[in-house]
Amino acid sequence: MSVAYLFRSLVSLLLVVGVSVPVLAEEPTEQIKQTTDKILSVVKDPALKSPSKAQERKKLIRKAVGERFDWEEMARRSLGKYWAQRTAEEKKEFVPLFSELVERTYMSKVEDYSGEKVRYDGETKEGGYAVVKVDIITQKNKDIPVHYRLKKEKEGNEWLVYDVSIEGVSLVNNYRTQFNSIILQSSYENLVKRLKAKVALEGVTS
Amino acid sequence: MRKFDLELGVGLFIIAGIVCLGYLSIKLGKMEIVGERGYEIYGLFSNTGGLNNGASVEIAGVNVGRVRSITLDNYQARVILNLPWSVKVQEDAIASIKTKGLIGEKYIEITPGGSEKIIKPGGRIRETQPAIDLEELISKYVFGKI
Repeated sequence: MSVAYLFRSLVSLLLVVGVSVPVLAEEPTEQIKQTTDKILSVVKDPALKSPSKAQERKKLIRKAVGERFDWEEMARRSLGKYWAQRTAEEKKEFVPLFSELVERTYMSKVEDYSGEKVRYDGETKEGGYAVVKVDIITQKNKDIPVHYRLKKEKEGNEWLVYDVSIEGVSLVNNYRTQFNSIILQSSYENLVKRLKAKVALEGVTS
Repeated sequence: MRKFDLELGVGLFIIAGIVCLGYLSIKLGKMEIVGERGYEIYGLFSNTGGLNNGASVEIAGVNVGRVRSITLDNYQARVILNLPWSVKVQEDAIASIKTKGLIGEKYIEITPGGSEKIIKPGGRIRETQPAIDLEELISKYVFGKI
């Protein structure tokens, strides 16, 4: 009786330790949480609040975001069918330009952080893809639903973000329609020119 | 003999009328008699915003297909789209529910992607964007400030 009991508890312990621990470590929500906490700790850090530290603060935020976002996948999806027509050099030039554009657009929002709370609302996982649902609760008690769409890396356990939907509006879809209409009206070269001008302009104001 | 001709004429006229009526109701009701042509893919939406069966599916504003059915699947809307064989949808295409004008009817817009992988018949279009509920958005900014 007691031997059987011991054996059973040992087996269940093995199951718990052997199965659930690695599964937990690769949960997409867990990884989104890690990145969010990292960014929040930078934003909340009083030592980094002074204007002289602004550049360092930006760099730290950018680094944390860059670890979780798959910029190439995002750029590829945003260019849509025009991505395949680009040469290797053009792709190499476009990805950092695109990440710069997104970062500059959202950096001011992150820097204006004023005590918003983040609630994790579950995830759905299927194949190598996952959606992590997050609610950002502002101080005025407004809920802003944000969905992160993630893709699992081919090797390793990292989940990387390839699209963000805020209030149901997808970032990639937004850029895809804009990029497509610019390329159709003029050319890819013109799109790059406009992106460069926009990034340079935002750089001056921020 | 003359009487028989008249009756035959009326009969033929009525048959022609019924055929016309049938044709009209099939045409107007957008029914297909020989079954749907093309293939089907499905998408899961968190909110369809009142999308109807038979709503149009558009790419670049061009009507390419129709919504075949809308059912509830684990508290999400499962929308089956019927597309002709000539239209290929890439794996990273995005299907979004949009409204014609400000208060017009709902339809599905597909923005094509750049992936080489094509969604197979019966496959799932993974990237979806739910209908934007204007009322909810407005109420958020009207009642949000407590």
